[in-house]
Amino acid sequence: MRSDVRSREMAPEYQQDEVILSVEQVSKKFCRSLKRSLYYGVRDIGKELIGGKRKSDTLRKGEFWALQDVSFHMRRGESLALIGANGAGKTTLFRIISGLIKPDTGSVKVKGKVAPLIALGAGFSPILMGRENVYVNMAILGLSKKEIDERFQDVVDFAEIGDAIDAPVQTYSSGMAARLGFACAVHTEPDILLIDEVLAVGDMKFRAKCYRRLAELRKKGTSFVVVSHSPITALSICNSAIYLSKGRLIMTGDTEAIMNQYEEDLSLNGVEKAVGEVFIPDKEEASDLLIKHISFKDAKGSTLEPSVSGKPAYISIGCKAYENFSDVSLTVNIRELSWENNNTLVLESARDNMVFQITPGEFEVQLRMPYLGLRPGTYSLKVYLTSGPYFHMLDVVEGFIFQVKADKNMSQCLFYQPRSWEIVQPQRV
Amino acid sequence: MSPQVSLTKDKNHVLPEVVYTAESSLRRPIRLLRQMGRDLWASRALAWRLTVRDISAQYRQSLLGLIWAFLPPIVMAAGFTLARDAQVINLGSTSLPYPAYVMFSMTLWQTFVEALNGPIQALTHAKGLISRINFPGEALILAQWGGILFNFAIKLLLIVGLFLWFRMPVSWTAVLAPGALILLVALGTCLGLLLAPLNMLYQDVARGVIIITGFWVFLTPVVYAVPSGGTFGTIVQLNPVTPLLVTTRELATTGVVSDPQRFWMVSIMTIVGLLLAWVMYRIALPFVIERVSA
Repeated sequence: MRSDVRSREMAPEYQQDEVILSVEQVSKKFCRSLKRSLYYGVRDIGKELIGGKRKSDTLRKGEFWALQDVSFHMRRGESLALIGANGAGKTTLFRIISGLIKPDTGSVKVKGKVAPLIALGAGFSPILMGRENVYVNMAILGLSKKEIDERFQDVVDFAEIGDAIDAPVQTYSSGMAARLGFACAVHTEPDILLIDEVLAVGDMKFRAKCYRRLAELRKKGTSFVVVSHSPITALSICNSAIYLSKGRLIMTGDTEAIMNQYEEDLSLNGVEKAVGEVFIPDKEEASDLLIKHISFKDAKGSTLEPSVSGKPAYISIGCKAYENFSDVSLTVNIRELSWENNNTLVLESARDNMVFQITPGEFEVQLRMPYLGLRPGTYSLKVYLTSGPYFHMLDVVEGFIFQVKADKNMSQCLFYQPRSWEIVQPQRV
Repeated sequence: MSPQVSLTKDKNHVLPEVVYTAESSLRRPIRLLRQMGRDLWASRALAWRLTVRDISAQYRQSLLGLIWAFLPPIVMAAGFTLARDAQVINLGSTSLPYPAYVMFSMTLWQTFVEALNGPIQALTHAKGLISRINFPGEALILAQWGGILFNFAIKLLLIVGLFLWFRMPVSWTAVLAPGALILLVALGTCLGLLLAPLNMLYQDVARGVIIITGFWVFLTPVVYAVPSGGTFGTIVQLNPVTPLLVTTRELATTGVVSDPQRFWMVSIMTIVGLLLAWVMYRIALPFVIERVSA
């Protein structure tokens, strides 16, 4: 299981085949219990000191493999994304590559200077000036005074710190400190840059600048190893990827293919299995207006599973009322499971000037979507009914899981855009 | 952190190659020694930066600044001189005027304790750094040495003032005193290097060190003259700090070294011990990082 994907955009002056990072059957074990872990630490040090064999290839009580038998290599100019859920072993692999911790089996060969982009502003001393901190930080990253002198102005310009460089770092805003830390790290010009989820630094403008800087470094032949949960980051920086799951390498190849596989696995592994329609049992504390069932349907009214991006769909919410209501509003929250806790959609009928008049009996509210704009993935739906201007909550149903699939590959799009293409030529008279 | 370095040539660049394996680096001692030398050499610029950073940070957020370096020996000397003059305690007679004796000895003792605590504190403070960035850990220790020497240089002002005030004669051997002082610092560093990685795992170490050094000072001829005979005298003489501290003091003042044999013995032990402690420190670091990392 190796990634042999060669960079398509490699700078021509490099020897193309040179492998600069080679990971051979690397395993690493960890222990969850702190007490035992510390004890093992002391024992390992002791064994190591007398030059004995640590028997590092077998598990002791309470240990588990954080990485097991991982092999891959990366050539010069290539960039590699490490993809996997939390706890898959990405950070552990990073730390072994950077030489911070020793592998328990196997070997890692690294050619050239490795710099981590994981410790932004590590070692910043709050009461020292920005200037002093830049010198310290870059010295820790392995630069000589002369090299720092040469780059200093670039770093300050890049971080957009200006005159504040001569003020203590504790007077900086958190964004300023992070920018300065990032600027230091990307100006060390390593051969391999390890990037661990840190691109979310600063505002949009600064982030764009960071990406530009990374692209520049890539052009110069710097290789990246990137850990990211965001498919956009991984896809825009890396041409190949490896997929880790529970410490094992399960797939290597093209970033896009791996990303698709990862997202598909995420939705399959979801505890909540997607179902086309759910019926809600009667609750003990019955309100006068209850949600009885929820379903996702296609244009013809048949239950859809899964739904497809770009196709018409509607969410149907069946309710039962025991009283008269004059001003009921329905709100639909849709959240993508693999992303952070942000809602993808919050649709409130009252804001669309739709309040419903309800009479006792059963009825169905339908939210019609002529084009389902959601990108492929797994979503969780939350529905609630409110009445009156103060959002008196009548009933709420959470955790309806549904899946959206793609007709064609949509993995680089954040949403489905209804569209048509046309070529228009000036008409001849 | 067990890199093996070889150079691989290609058309344009020479990229150094590093290999990380599970094998104990002690199995290739020559390579280990070469790496240690290289890392020590490579860390000098960083050590200087860290020294400057630590010293400026230390004094910038302080009103009294350098005065803090003078205060402990002065307070200590004042206390013991008062107690001795009132004959509350019987400390015997010393070769130098008593307040000067205590102040000078206390300064040396403090330097030893700083050297002992140096590696422990350095690792604790740099926890976030060493668990994220791979840089020579020697830099942290060298930076501590820088801080210790700086502090001592300041205290030297106090000592010079003392010599002038009490009109104490200075022997030509005073030029040799720094050598003995460095050995004293080396002994402290040696112990500190052994304890520092352990302290990262179990914080009991740092607490224990505070108590032990508090007791240790009374087993060292700091507030009293070197005792002769008796169980206590034997304990004081077996204390490895005694010959180094006493010799430094003697070289700087009377010029007569009372126990050269013991001094040389402890010196050789210190140098060998420092090397071994350094090896241990290097070997232990990756294991410590593995266990403490955030």
